[in-house]
Amino acid sequence: MLHSNFQKNTDMKKTRYFIGISLLALTLVLNSCGSFFDEKSNGNISAETAITDAGTARAAIIGAYDEVQNYYSSYTTLGTITADNVVFNGSLSQYLQLDQISIPVDNVVTVAAYQGIYQAINSANTIISLVPSVSDPALTTTEKNKILGEAYFIRALGYFDLGRGWGGVQLRLTPTKDIASLKGVKRSTLDQTYDQVLSDLIKAEQLLPDVTASDSNLRNRAQKASVRALRARLHLYRQQWSDAENYASQVIAETTKYNLVTPYKAFFTAPYLTSESVLELTFSTNDKNSFWNLWYLSNLGGQYTLKPSDSFVTKVKDPTIGGSRSTLVAGTSPNVYGVLYNSTAGADPFYLIRIAELYLIRTEARAQQNNLTGALSDLNVVRNRAGLVNSTATTQVDILTAIENENNIEFAFEAHRWFDLVRTKRVGAVLGVTNTNLWLFPIPGSDILSDPDVTQNPGY
Amino acid sequence: MTKLSHFPGSCIQLLRNYLRVYVFLSVLSGTFLGAFAQNGATIKGKILDEKKASIIGATVTIKGTTAGSVTDVNGDFKFVVKQSFPVTLEVRAIGYKNQEVDLYENVPVEIVLSDLSNRLDEVVVTGYSTQSKKYISGAVTTLNTNVLKDNAAASSFSELLQGKATGVQVTSNSGVPGGSITFRIRGTNSINAGVDPLYIVDGVFISSDNLIKTGMGNQAQSNPLADINPDDIENVTILKDANATAIYGSLGANGVVIVTTKRGKKSTKAKINLQISHGWSKAAKSYSLTNGPQSAVLANESARNTAIDNGKDPSTATLISAQPDTLKTYDRLKDVFKTANTSNYDLSIQGGSDKDTYFIGLGYLNQQSIVKPSAFTRYSGRLNYDNQITNKIKVGTSLNLSRTWRNVSSNDNNPVGVINSALFVRTYLPVYNSDGSYARYGAFDNHIALIKNLNNDAVGLRAIGNIFADYAITPDLKLRSSWSLDNNDVYENNYSNTSISAGIATNGSASSYDTKNQVLTNEQVLTFIKSFGKNGKHYINALVGNTINSSLYQSTGATGSGFATNDLTAISTAATTTGTSSKSQSKLASFFSKASYTYDNKYTIDGSIRADGSSKFGSNKRWGYFPSGGVTWNASQEKFVNKLKVFDELKLRGSIGLSGNQSGIGAYASQGLWSGSGSYLSTAGTAPSQLANPNLTWETTRQIDFGTEFSVLKNRLSVSLDYYDKYTYDLLLAVPVTYSSGFASYTQNYGAVSNKGFEFSFHSVNISTKDFSWTSDFNISHNKNLIKKLASDIALGASGRNISILKQGYAINSFYLYKQLYVDSKTGNAVYEDVNKDGKITSADRQVVGNANPDFTGGFTNTLTYKNFELNLFVSFVHGNKIMNMNEFFMVHGGTQKNIGFLDRQLERWQKAGDITDIPRLTTYSGDTNTNGGSANNYGGVVSNLSSRYLDNGSFVRLKSASLSYNLPKSITRKAGISNVKVYVSGTNLITLTKYRGLDPEVSSQSSNQNTAGYDWATAPQPRTITTGINVTF
Repeated sequence: MLHSNFQKNTDMKKTRYFIGISLLALTLVLNSCGSFFDEKSNGNISAETAITDAGTARAAIIGAYDEVQNYYSSYTTLGTITADNVVFNGSLSQYLQLDQISIPVDNVVTVAAYQGIYQAINSANTIISLVPSVSDPALTTTEKNKILGEAYFIRALGYFDLGRGWGGVQLRLTPTKDIASLKGVKRSTLDQTYDQVLSDLIKAEQLLPDVTASDSNLRNRAQKASVRALRARLHLYRQQWSDAENYASQVIAETTKYNLVTPYKAFFTAPYLTSESVLELTFSTNDKNSFWNLWYLSNLGGQYTLKPSDSFVTKVKDPTIGGSRSTLVAGTSPNVYGVLYNSTAGADPFYLIRIAELYLIRTEARAQQNNLTGALSDLNVVRNRAGLVNSTATTQVDILTAIENENNIEFAFEAHRWFDLVRTKRVGAVLGVTNTNLWLFPIPGSDILSDPDVTQNPGY
Repeated sequence: MTKLSHFPGSCIQLLRNYLRVYVFLSVLSGTFLGAFAQNGATIKGKILDEKKASIIGATVTIKGTTAGSVTDVNGDFKFVVKQSFPVTLEVRAIGYKNQEVDLYENVPVEIVLSDLSNRLDEVVVTGYSTQSKKYISGAVTTLNTNVLKDNAAASSFSELLQGKATGVQVTSNSGVPGGSITFRIRGTNSINAGVDPLYIVDGVFISSDNLIKTGMGNQAQSNPLADINPDDIENVTILKDANATAIYGSLGANGVVIVTTKRGKKSTKAKINLQISHGWSKAAKSYSLTNGPQSAVLANESARNTAIDNGKDPSTATLISAQPDTLKTYDRLKDVFKTANTSNYDLSIQGGSDKDTYFIGLGYLNQQSIVKPSAFTRYSGRLNYDNQITNKIKVGTSLNLSRTWRNVSSNDNNPVGVINSALFVRTYLPVYNSDGSYARYGAFDNHIALIKNLNNDAVGLRAIGNIFADYAITPDLKLRSSWSLDNNDVYENNYSNTSISAGIATNGSASSYDTKNQVLTNEQVLTFIKSFGKNGKHYINALVGNTINSSLYQSTGATGSGFATNDLTAISTAATTTGTSSKSQSKLASFFSKASYTYDNKYTIDGSIRADGSSKFGSNKRWGYFPSGGVTWNASQEKFVNKLKVFDELKLRGSIGLSGNQSGIGAYASQGLWSGSGSYLSTAGTAPSQLANPNLTWETTRQIDFGTEFSVLKNRLSVSLDYYDKYTYDLLLAVPVTYSSGFASYTQNYGAVSNKGFEFSFHSVNISTKDFSWTSDFNISHNKNLIKKLASDIALGASGRNISILKQGYAINSFYLYKQLYVDSKTGNAVYEDVNKDGKITSADRQVVGNANPDFTGGFTNTLTYKNFELNLFVSFVHGNKIMNMNEFFMVHGGTQKNIGFLDRQLERWQKAGDITDIPRLTTYSGDTNTNGGSANNYGGVVSNLSSRYLDNGSFVRLKSASLSYNLPKSITRKAGISNVKVYVSGTNLITLTKYRGLDPEVSSQSSNQNTAGYDWATAPQPRTITTGINVTF
């Protein structure tokens, strides 16, 4: 009896203890009830509080630059492998498609560039929309204007890069907050796209500071001269020759800031940010640019997908055509490879605008306005820097051809050649691609499916 | 502010759910508990089968009276008698011989019933409870260890389930040991959310997420279930239909795999078991490459044809070699494949006293890959311990600790993979340069350099542990509380020295990752089992419970590049170093209840409901409710069925229910986010990364199941048949949004997927004599998968080539290609189907040409025993799936791939008018790409080799395993003090019948994405393995 009572007692104690444990879990839930389901990421912030003060506004514009960095490797590929300087040498068929100008609507490189550009534009749109209403004493009007100016510049660059690749595109000028608000935006014409670029550039020029030559961000963040340089290029693309000349001249005139460097390879040899650069995107070992990998031999750790064409190698190594620009390639046949992007540590910049381009913009603008002497003088500045004698061209036609050829060598591995040939409608004559439909890249196929407002470029 | 406004809704909801289930419980106990209080002497006892396992639902009565009871889940019974002793107990249980026992005084009795060998009377572990199979209305398959252990070459139990259970499709994605597998129960339910089943080991919800980060070229890197030693497993139960899985609510939609490991038995002597085996594996087949001269002939032919197509004189073409015959052939593949060794040692001790039981298992497995240098090693230890503290309280623990080591070597879609570097390089190119250094071509590394220098270690430490306590409040009402942990930690160290291309440019590069996945689960379950009425006509099995589940994922990584010498490999010694870290956490709270009622052993009706709240979802739609119900009719209990004298057992069942899915989507999927990962000019930046969806909620699967199980011919033939119809809706879909929004997709509940199928299996005892027996097990399953609703097509796969597509009206894992109709025998050019009939070949002419899902899968096992010999033959088969042969895609390229060689199949190309073949004329011409039947599309052009000619039939029939074992006669072993010795030899993958042209039809190289099944891409094939072993029991 005694024993059984004792047993009962301990059992009861155990029972209480046990029920206690089992209720503990319930208690845990209830105690933390309000926050039980509130999980927050430590690598992201809420969209609602993304731009609220000086710190977040600064972070947002940095993020927008980061997105320009992100799209420039695919964009540079689009401007090079499509033309005659670079051929496909890898195994990834998206590059073969670009090389053959047989680009399906889901070509990875065109899709990545298109998507990346719009990401940068959405970042810029958000900044343009939210930064004006930030009230934080730490954010001065000057800095606010600078951030806004940079956002307008990045949006201009984005739409310009879209326009020259895909033609007139959907103009999205407000930040994407939800899916419903995306409806009803049709594609604009190329002129409308370029008008938007111009309007953004005008605002950017007003808002941005004119920094001194010693400013550490002179060449890798937008300021007045970078806006003018992009504007010169825009006018060139729109064949507004006098405006192109005017804006190119404004940048060239800033000789304390911008000069052609010698030797040619100095601008793509560390330390970067040479006076050649009007705008370059800086990378570092902690913020790597792995574009070199597409150019380098596998013996050097690369993939060797983008290979300088035999015809280009012949030209660039010809002392009367390439001059010191032969340093763009290394290796011996058949394994010649491009070395514009050569930092295997990942520090290669993307060279968005070099002062050489402004000379060549002005050359072309002058030649088109029949100022042949002026044109030749600018052309020869670029030629002389490469160690070449003056051009022997005399007629307008010959000078324009000489400019095309000079552009080809000078910017061989930058995002130029394809877009220049499209701009001058010479793709058929030079590359043999006579089907003008193929002169524009396809809008990503998934956008055609997911967005009833967008139309595909003809021929795709 | 947000917290405050959020507080009441979520809190009240929680409380409400808790209250709901407890009200349910109190109703149960109020109704049934009170009805049984009686006076008199209480007889107690236990009913066991011959294996000393409890028999549930046995009827125990006093002979000649109606007094009696039905045994509970532990085989225990007790009831009150008014008669005086002695009495005669009459025990009846279906599937067992009736037995009478005389009882002279009131002491607890243990009665052993002998078996009638009825398969329906198995006891199976189902959601939160143990049930007799005959009462279950759900579709459940249980497999015992002996069925599983015939494939000695498998490193995980999941591989062992292949071809063994209906409705379960298991594919080893590659032949790499410890490598990933694809495991689907009744088809693929989802597109973006998880499709893997819920794995439960001894009550612990374990994670099957791969943690290895080292890139493998879109192949999922590992199978985390290989952390569990298959030798420790007692049985595996697979819950398939909604009735069985709904109790797991949001976790159950993809089916549930319940693994029960071995436990000791009470009052048994210590049993020591030692197993040793050794195996040798080889590739069953190798790639057939063109030799050096053949490769040059093909390349030259392509160059000449291209010149002709371009309107030039073919003599101007640039040739590889004017005299192909003079070229040498370099066989790289022989360096890559080897005979691999596998060693397995397993030691276990089990036993128990009258109070406690124990099982201790120790295992060691060392498995090399047939492709150098991959390997897998596992050390495992297990302790299962139970103690009956008092007759009311039992505590126990299940603890699994394992350490795995993998030499991770990338193959598949990776140009610097070992197989790729040996396979793709043209055979006339030398392996070494003239100066003796490693030669590399195109994007490919040198295979010898890789084999000698690859240094990618992944060390996993896995702890799966559970402690529980059972408290019997009354004999019928039990409370269990269980606390579980699954901690998976993987530490990776990779070093690329300057001898391999990954390390050349950077002067040596290293990376290190420590990744942890931790799942914590607490659960309380209150179970009520009771039979009452005359002869225990009414039987109730009910439970109510709750769980709280928290999942943590975190990863820290470091990389370094630029090392002073190849001997310095610590990241701290590198010139430049970087670091990363990430973390995510999600929580789940659940309340559930389940009840079943059986009348007279004939009719069972059951139902369950579960409420789940998940932190992943938007505050508006956090809670999901998942009900289910089913009925079972044990027709063989009916007199009119008995009179037919056909069925020894006949059971019909039907069920319907809902289950949910929230796995596979991000922990913060419903929140609007800006990512902090971008930086510029050494300054941190932020950018929009995800659109908010406060309405994001559960993906739901509705499933209807009808099934029958019957046995005939004196239980010698048992058959099981099931039909199911699953419909998954409100898919957690990453719906593509226009890129112009700045986003690529938006996770929302959109879309629907259907899976319908049938399952058939039988077990037959063909011959059963004293010395010789022959049994057969056959199963076949059919599943038809269909996407019923999708926002827009989603094309994906093969590194942007988008060979797979998700398209409404077609199955998941469909292939999206240009359909080659024929090769024009006049021109030698490929002609494709012009789908839109516009006379041109454009991207609009791509179409779905088959999918990677088999129509039928199954297996056939025959076991023959003669005296002490046993022969086991297991054939598995897969029918009706397609495989995209990426090796042909790349290596039958017509000359377009300058750095890649040719497979033999390229030799079948069209050469002259009149040739009939499906391999078109060689050329790299790129003009007129829209012309159908133009030479540009033979290999390049619009089609770019995305042609159905590389899509193969993946059906196969395979002698998966054959094993012969011999048990030494007891007369010999007894003298040595050993109770049993078994020696065996077994072969795995001995014969494969298939039309597939690649190495192995059991392959899935792009398995890291669930929607890109069925690729073969430089993947290690399943090896052919011979294993010998010995199994000694003391």
